[in-house]
Amino acid sequence: MSNVKRYGFAVVSVFLAVLPGLLLQHYKFHDAELALLLFAVALTAWQAGSGPAVLSIVLAILCFDYFFAPPLYSFDFGPQDVPALVVLISGAVLTTWFASIRRHIEAELLTARDKLQQEVAERTQQAREIRVLNEELEKRSLALEGSNKELEAFAYSVSHDLRAPLRHMAGFAELLQKTAGSKLDDKAQRYLRTILDSAQRMGNLIDDLLAFSRIGRVETQKAAVNLDQLVKEAMGEVQHETHGREIEWRIDKLPVCYGDRSMLRLVLVNLLSNAVKFTRARAKAEIEVGCGNGSADEVVVFVKDNGAGFDMRYVDKLFGVFQRLHHVDAFEGTGIGLATVQRIIHRHGGKVRAEGALDRGATFYFSVPKFKNGIKA
Amino acid sequence: MVEDDPKDVELTLTALEDYNLANEVVVVRDGEEALNYLNCQNEYSERLSGNPAVMLLDLKLPKVDGLEVLRQVKSNEALKLIPVVVLTSSHEEKDLIASYKLGVNAYVVKPVDFHQFVNAIKELGVFWAVINAPPPGS
Repeated sequence: MSNVKRYGFAVVSVFLAVLPGLLLQHYKFHDAELALLLFAVALTAWQAGSGPAVLSIVLAILCFDYFFAPPLYSFDFGPQDVPALVVLISGAVLTTWFASIRRHIEAELLTARDKLQQEVAERTQQAREIRVLNEELEKRSLALEGSNKELEAFAYSVSHDLRAPLRHMAGFAELLQKTAGSKLDDKAQRYLRTILDSAQRMGNLIDDLLAFSRIGRVETQKAAVNLDQLVKEAMGEVQHETHGREIEWRIDKLPVCYGDRSMLRLVLVNLLSNAVKFTRARAKAEIEVGCGNGSADEVVVFVKDNGAGFDMRYVDKLFGVFQRLHHVDAFEGTGIGLATVQRIIHRHGGKVRAEGALDRGATFYFSVPKFKNGIKA
Repeated sequence: MVEDDPKDVELTLTALEDYNLANEVVVVRDGEEALNYLNCQNEYSERLSGNPAVMLLDLKLPKVDGLEVLRQVKSNEALKLIPVVVLTSSHEEKDLIASYKLGVNAYVVKPVDFHQFVNAIKELGVFWAVINAPPPGS
């Protein structure tokens, strides 16, 4: 309320109280005037504030003195008017006090409300942002799913469509050998054999590539894996490659790790198979499996052999897809074994490493997370 | 035999020749032809009636797909006794699962190696044409 209004309110309310008072006075009905004036003062104090309240008190006293206190219509002021004065003043004071309390509470409520409104606005904004982020996340994951499906379709196509012509190449080359082989000279027969070998090799490459790509596509199923047991299983699997060979196995005790069992099995099989293969030239092969200095969270496992080894200059190529450091005549293979090992270990968040020297064996290290009771490392 | 690739047909028949089984083979080139043959319809309405002793089925076929042929055969009272051997390049798990769910009798992946392929065909031929007792009326 503006100042004019407030002070105007004081004047008007006193005036409105005086009028009925005069009327009552006319009808010789006294004692009500004070109550009316008190009411006007209280109302002013409540509605208009302390300033107008003071004005209304002053006006009320004047009016009371003039209109209602004997002698009437005069501004005489005597001790008998003091009670009226006291009443008016204390009434005003009390009301003003209550009014100020009310205003204080009102102000506090208003600030609290404003704060709440601001918080609500902030929360709504945050909720909106989260929704936007969620939508974007969904879009991305849909895109990833689509991309994965494309890869699957690609792998399927490779598996199906590339194999058929391969089979025909091999098949008809053999039929040629059978029907016309005797009519061909040695060179021609060798050419024919080359065709057949190449077809076979291409088949192996396709199979290996498919298996390799599957590792990237399939979800890992992580659990506690007993490495000792896994090494035994892997040894069993390379058994058929060790017939008639003398191999000394040194297997240390290995801890329990956390990872995908079938994938880790493949890692061990590949590494052991390599060790067996590249120690073929040795009269007595020595293959050692142990664990080295890991950390609180990781196990570092190594497979060491005393075989053909490799030149450390080319160590970076060792884990590449289809990379081979030896002649295919010396040692067969497509060169996917170590690439597979690396891919699997990387999917477990670990690292691979190799050390070796030409003709002095090689050691392959890989790290996997340790299994900590109940909680993965 | 349901096979669209003529080279595979030739390799298969050559392999079966060694056991004098080549003459007993009816070759159809796609799924639609296969169903026509089995149901004695259209171009095969004049053929001698009776079901084949075994059906070698490729999966990747033009017109009607191999799995669809399999489904129709195994859901048809008159045809479901026919032993079906899926002979395909694919060893994708989803094809295996789908085929076995439809009730295939055997699933053979065509070996890339020609020798193995020929051996597989021969062994299949010997088993289904000689060792296995076909359903009555074949």
